[in-house]
Amino acid sequence: MGDYNVFHIMPWSGSYAIYFFVIGISAAMFFFSAMSWYRPEFKTLRMPAFYVSFVLLACGGLLLIGDLTQPLRFLNTMNPAYLNLSSPLAWGALNLVSFGLVSVAYFLTMRKNDEVMSRRLAVMGALLALGLPIYTGFDLTVHQNRPVWNTPLMPVLFVALSILSGAAVASFIAKAKEEKLVVMLRSLMLWSAGAVAAMLVSLLGTTAYGGSGSELTFMLMTSGSLGVIFVGLGILVGTATPIAMLLTPYGKQHTGIMTAGALLLVGGMALRYSILIGGQIVQTYF
Amino acid sequence: MSELRISSIETRGMPGKKRYAMVIDLRRCIGCDACMVACKAEFDVPLGVFRTWVPYKVVGKYPNVRKMFLPRLCNHCDDPPCVRACPVGATYKVEDGGFVLQRYERCIGCKACMASCPYNARFMLPKHRTYTDITRVVDKCTFCHHRVTQGLVPACVQTCVGRSRIFGDLSDPASEVSYLVSTLPTQVLRPEEGTKPHVFYIGADRNHTEIGRKIYDPQDVMELERSVFNRNI
Repeated sequence: MGDYNVFHIMPWSGSYAIYFFVIGISAAMFFFSAMSWYRPEFKTLRMPAFYVSFVLLACGGLLLIGDLTQPLRFLNTMNPAYLNLSSPLAWGALNLVSFGLVSVAYFLTMRKNDEVMSRRLAVMGALLALGLPIYTGFDLTVHQNRPVWNTPLMPVLFVALSILSGAAVASFIAKAKEEKLVVMLRSLMLWSAGAVAAMLVSLLGTTAYGGSGSELTFMLMTSGSLGVIFVGLGILVGTATPIAMLLTPYGKQHTGIMTAGALLLVGGMALRYSILIGGQIVQTYF
Repeated sequence: MSELRISSIETRGMPGKKRYAMVIDLRRCIGCDACMVACKAEFDVPLGVFRTWVPYKVVGKYPNVRKMFLPRLCNHCDDPPCVRACPVGATYKVEDGGFVLQRYERCIGCKACMASCPYNARFMLPKHRTYTDITRVVDKCTFCHHRVTQGLVPACVQTCVGRSRIFGDLSDPASEVSYLVSTLPTQVLRPEEGTKPHVFYIGADRNHTEIGRKIYDPQDVMELERSVFNRNI
């Protein structure tokens, strides 16, 4: 409000969007590696997907810790005396560390060729991997005063974005001759992108009709400062175009799937960024 | 007011518990900013950040115009979203008194509390400070907990020349705040968020305290200043 106000900053900067992006891909890649024990078409992805997942987990973890103003105090989140379980961040920290530990154990058992244990760890890791996009969604959704964030869609949207981005990265690793895998990745991309598109329609609807703060956020995200990123890159280039492309004959070829994958990655990043920043713009003026 | 209690953290109207609150009578505020200065001096609040601040808006039509001041601070909510959001319990509510306070040694700087506060009452302390070595953690108004526990009123209340700010125990029916809240129409900011704020305004016009369309098309000069300010953080 006001003709004069002190300036407030956005607490969560764009680096959180990068974190959401990499951790989403990491989770999905682990999921694909775990799937390889149960679905033969994923077998060739087992090790490469795991490596990508682990590297991105390390990058995401470092990014998150680096963004704290007291990076070494990230250990406080592991202190049972401090842990506040009403905060989704506390659950997220536990989820992240457990996922890291299970990933290391999974790698070691795979190196030992211990199939029984690897299968068990794959299931455990896949469940923890699913928790990563869910907790990042909850991080946003619990803030009742934030337009766009405060909707039950967020955790589900982040899961769909994670599968979509992971399948896009996996399409670059898969070889054209692995037909069954490529077909499976195409359908994963298509269904998750379709789910994202449906959720975006709901999100835009509830934001546009959600009271003055939400209405202003809708305006800023569609025709305001975030319009190019959200509508241009996120919706048109990064969701609608790849869906249309995947439905054409070209989208059934490996190169077409990879092209759609590249666009989905652009869209996935743009959507995460614009949702993160969009929920904070209006508040900085209050 | 006890009928508004929902969650177990809320202590408003609970027998035997103090519940401190501030009433800000906007009819008496002259916008002198003495409260901001007193607060800065009391806590060595660094440049660029504020525990309390006084935004204004010019309201009315010429020739009948006036500046409407709206002193702001942490609302010491009865159901504070910042307490829920902090992953390490660095923010907590004192049950007897209702102060929402900060444990600096625990704060990891994740800014979840800043994201959760509907009132922008929280800020990050900068890297360098002149007299105090508490840096790079989140800070906020404490309702001058250290003064109130010694039987004094907060620094901003003490210094307010117009007696616009009044502080006291809302649970004590003989207190001035209790009298004002029970006898005059009062307003709180963003009641729809369910935070149950404990800063009450007399004479706040919600037509002017809400976010308006101006945000969509902000003045260039203001945006320049905002970007410069953000760079310094």
